[in-house]
Amino acid sequence: MTQFLSLLLNGVSLGAIYALIALGFVIIFKASEVVSFTQGSLLLLGAYTIARLSHPLGFWLAALAGIVVTALAALLVERLIINRLRGAPVISLAIVTIGVDIILLTELIRRIGSDILNVPHPWGGRSFRIGDVGISQNRLIAILVAGVLIAIFFAAFKYSSWGVAMRASAEDGETAALMGIRLGRVSALAWVVAGALAAVAALFLVGAPTPGVSPSVYSVSLRAFPAAILGGLDSTGGALVGGLLIGITESLAAGYQDQLLFLGRGFGDVVPYVVMIIVLLVRPSGLFGTKELTRV
Amino acid sequence: MNLGKRSAGAALLAAVLLTAATGCSNKAQDNSSSGSGGGGDVQTDIGVEGKTIKLGVLTDLTAVFAALGKDLTNANTLYWKDHKVCDTYTVDLDVQDTGYVPQTGVQLYSGMKDSILAMQQTIGSPINTALAPAYEADKVVNFPSAWSKTLTEIPGTGVVGATYDVEISNGYDYLFQQGLLKEGDTVGHIYFEGEYGANGLAGSKAVAEEKNLKIIEAQIKSTDQDMSAQVTQFKAAGVKAIALTVAPGQLASVAAVAQAQGLDVPILGNNPVFAPGLLAGPTAQWLKTHLYVASPVSSFDDHADLLKSYKEAYPDVTPSLGVLVGYGMATMMNQVLDAACDNGDLTHAGVLDAFNNLKDVDTGGLVVPIRGFEKGKSPSLESFVLQPADAPGGAKVLADAFEGEFAAKIAG
Repeated sequence: MTQFLSLLLNGVSLGAIYALIALGFVIIFKASEVVSFTQGSLLLLGAYTIARLSHPLGFWLAALAGIVVTALAALLVERLIINRLRGAPVISLAIVTIGVDIILLTELIRRIGSDILNVPHPWGGRSFRIGDVGISQNRLIAILVAGVLIAIFFAAFKYSSWGVAMRASAEDGETAALMGIRLGRVSALAWVVAGALAAVAALFLVGAPTPGVSPSVYSVSLRAFPAAILGGLDSTGGALVGGLLIGITESLAAGYQDQLLFLGRGFGDVVPYVVMIIVLLVRPSGLFGTKELTRV
Repeated sequence: MNLGKRSAGAALLAAVLLTAATGCSNKAQDNSSSGSGGGGDVQTDIGVEGKTIKLGVLTDLTAVFAALGKDLTNANTLYWKDHKVCDTYTVDLDVQDTGYVPQTGVQLYSGMKDSILAMQQTIGSPINTALAPAYEADKVVNFPSAWSKTLTEIPGTGVVGATYDVEISNGYDYLFQQGLLKEGDTVGHIYFEGEYGANGLAGSKAVAEEKNLKIIEAQIKSTDQDMSAQVTQFKAAGVKAIALTVAPGQLASVAAVAQAQGLDVPILGNNPVFAPGLLAGPTAQWLKTHLYVASPVSSFDDHADLLKSYKEAYPDVTPSLGVLVGYGMATMMNQVLDAACDNGDLTHAGVLDAFNNLKDVDTGGLVVPIRGFEKGKSPSLESFVLQPADAPGGAKVLADAFEGEFAAKIAG
């Protein structure tokens, strides 16, 4: 039972971080219908900036700087590339984001090299224990922060004028523009928010129980992607549920590796994708995604 | 228009064929020339010009293993600055950066192969494996900075120490000696998929057979960073030790989770698990008391002079134990070339012959004693056991090079 609860708690904390990254995918998709593949390198950029600036600035300022730098980088990508290509097929834009991602990633990997850059979190490697079940304080804070941020965005989409504008521009860009919604501004803001969310996720990803900043941080975004898809690419709640679902199944599959041996070693790694495929087979628009209606 | 394109294509093809033909004939001439090296009656072919021998270095200066690559290459360079072959030949290194991409490595090698006598260093199992057929065909002696058993299958490739399976078995032996592990205990082993992980796991399994251990296997990808699930599983199974054939990132995670869950057991690792950077992280204290690294090299404690001259030559670099590997592999190359020179044959074939006949290589305690390079067999039976400490290179020696109880059987 202890093992199950430990794995479950670990899965929830991992899922909360996935959800933050998935939320970034969702926001960009809602604003511009672009599937952005840059989240991985933005994640790494956030982690790298926080680690590099921690020594001169101290943790809190570095964290803030990391979030700002990553948000600005996302804004640059949007202003310099995505905005100029408006009207291009959505699939081309997605491919363009893959290109941007590779360029940014290559430069970051070159800079990080084989070092592990440590981020001096004030909570360090301390853990929180309930009976025999332990979790690092870092992950516990991650769950709380992710919960609060996702609730805020959930409310913002529903009630704020920005949220309404975003939904309108995603639904029908042309009509939204005619109604006086400035598509460029909506899209730019979405990218800024997605960049900031990636940096927040990175802040917790590089703390206990994972090591500091190394190029592998990037690969986490590849697991957040199925989370966003299976939740429904245009649903905030879906990002949260998708993230948690992926986090928990991944943790359980790795923790019960021996019992799942008939599925082959390393099954935990493929679980996010297996779950995604199963969900999509049952619900093609994802758990909470909007169904596309096409009258023929 | 079409015709034009075709004739252009034909011209291009002709040019390529001509170049290839010329290249071949040049090479044939190279191979046949001998005795012109200027070293008295020493026979030479490619890679010896007058009193200078040229050796190749395919390293990583810009990608994931850049820090290690720089230390190895700097140490190679430092060694050859002060040493000669046969007291006659100085050695020049042709250093190229592969960026840890096998394809780049293959291209760079084809660019340098007509000017080098042997390879002082090739970084990375994938690149070594990709170049194996070329090295074999060209009779190139090469020292890799990896310890996989498959590398011992490549003729002319000299693994600098014990292979991973032998190495970790020596680590187990140390744990048994110290009473940290008993017969019949359960051990959790986390390992990378692929050759490195499989070779380390084979060591664990061989020891398990002898000592009736129960091994709980957890295979991961090199990109996995969070070891929570694996360590939780180990705790539930009541492991008495954790064995690791992974990279430093995963080690840091294992230590963090073990600490958080109160899993107070020794952690045994193959040599690549450790990096001095770990001592700046939150798990430093735990690692200093729980980690045991089986290693082919000693620490700087025993080599203060080398550390001093390295720091003088490269003041901006924080030296890792890679310096000892780099200096050790250059020492071995020197012994191979000296032997070839003494035999009067500094050709590729002569150097390979000297390499194959080399026995009981002593590098003055830099690297474990090497018994010789035999195909498919671990070149050494011995390992050091290191533990992280606030010392240069980040480690202190717990046990000097020794041959563990299981080494001979595993090494073949």
